[in-house]
Amino acid sequence: MAKEISIFIFLVGLFLLFYFMPTESALFSGAILSGLELLNEYARQHVLTCLLPAFFIAGAISVFVKKDFILRYLSGQTKKYISYSLASVSGSILAVCSCTILPLFASIRKRGAGLGPAATFLFSGPAINIAAIFLTMSVLGLKIGLARIISAIFLSILVGLSMQLIFKEKPEDGKLFMEEHKEVVIGKKVLAIFFIAMVGILIVNGLQIDKMIKFGLIMLLALVVVGIAVFKFRQEAAKEWLKETWNFTKMLLPILFIGVFVAGFVMPFLPQELIERIVGSNSVFGNLVASIFGAFMYFSTLTEIPILQALIAKGMAPGPALALLLAGPSLSLPNMLVIRKVLGNGKTAVYILLVIFYSTVAGLIFGKLF
Amino acid sequence: MIIKIFGPGCPKCQTLEENARKAVQELNLNGVEIEKISEIEKIVEAGIMAAPAIMIDGTLKAVGRVPDVREIKSWLK
Repeated sequence: MAKEISIFIFLVGLFLLFYFMPTESALFSGAILSGLELLNEYARQHVLTCLLPAFFIAGAISVFVKKDFILRYLSGQTKKYISYSLASVSGSILAVCSCTILPLFASIRKRGAGLGPAATFLFSGPAINIAAIFLTMSVLGLKIGLARIISAIFLSILVGLSMQLIFKEKPEDGKLFMEEHKEVVIGKKVLAIFFIAMVGILIVNGLQIDKMIKFGLIMLLALVVVGIAVFKFRQEAAKEWLKETWNFTKMLLPILFIGVFVAGFVMPFLPQELIERIVGSNSVFGNLVASIFGAFMYFSTLTEIPILQALIAKGMAPGPALALLLAGPSLSLPNMLVIRKVLGNGKTAVYILLVIFYSTVAGLIFGKLF
Repeated sequence: MIIKIFGPGCPKCQTLEENARKAVQELNLNGVEIEKISEIEKIVEAGIMAAPAIMIDGTLKAVGRVPDVREIKSWLK
């Protein structure tokens, strides 16, 4: 019954929306057109050459990279520098969706390497996922893409260390269960070539070279990838890889399209003067505002990119843009409420403040350098 | 028999639950209870690192992945 009611409310809402839609207003049709134009840009320039390879890579990582190996280093008596540095990059390997991150965060903290590495993981998990990094490079440029990945890794370690220093919490003893993964019998060399070829596609695509050479190189690398998958993998592994890739695509692409349209749609309404005044220069205030906005606003994976693109088009400076990219994906209001359930009020507040503070500083430094 | 599904409610956890239900149905098993555990604390308590996870009569069968109906059926037999 409750379900029927919510469908009813949804339909009524839709009806009212269509009924009162100001179709004759030029501003409205301009906004619709702007949304479609941005979608067109993404479909032509970013989906095939950037997102698709990134999804295949993410799929391959989740099939071929042994998770239990990494988790073992995040639990128990591992040396601190190993657990922190591993936690800072493991986000790209372990998780894309926040539902995997929270249980992992809770168990690393309670039964594993402790609060510090857990906080590092909590921050880096959503911040460095492969699709997001490459889409940032493709849409917003190489510089800010690289700055995003480097500062996300660096910041996550700083946040973790600070949390540990402030609270000095010790993990409890207790066993953790991690499934031993089915042995994938593929030579390390073959696997390395496989990954290098896939990342190569993304890199070649970003190069400023002749179109024909670029196309040829990409085709060549794609052939290498397909060849390895067909001749070197057992059928089971290849199937698993395609299944995981499809899962990522299914999960991320529709939301991204919606996000792109919304970003394009709101672009004409964004007050250029206001944006220029607040985040148009690399001031402490501008970076702070961008960090706070990013921390509270909810961005679904990847949608932070078109939204930022709209803001930059309206005059946002590079420093605040980076600050928003750092604080944005890792924190959001709904996310804070869930973290609060696990961490409690005090620690959650400190975590949020740390993220905002470090993101602001990173934005300031980036803005100074470029 | 008790099947426990651990997961905070993401799409993957729901797929796992559906798969478990289908497996039970296809085998025509009676008296099988499917319990869903979505509180993070309880998931951690069970020592599970990655969601979703499935536990059958106290033994964890899969962690951090979604086994298909056929695989779940093989555990239920």
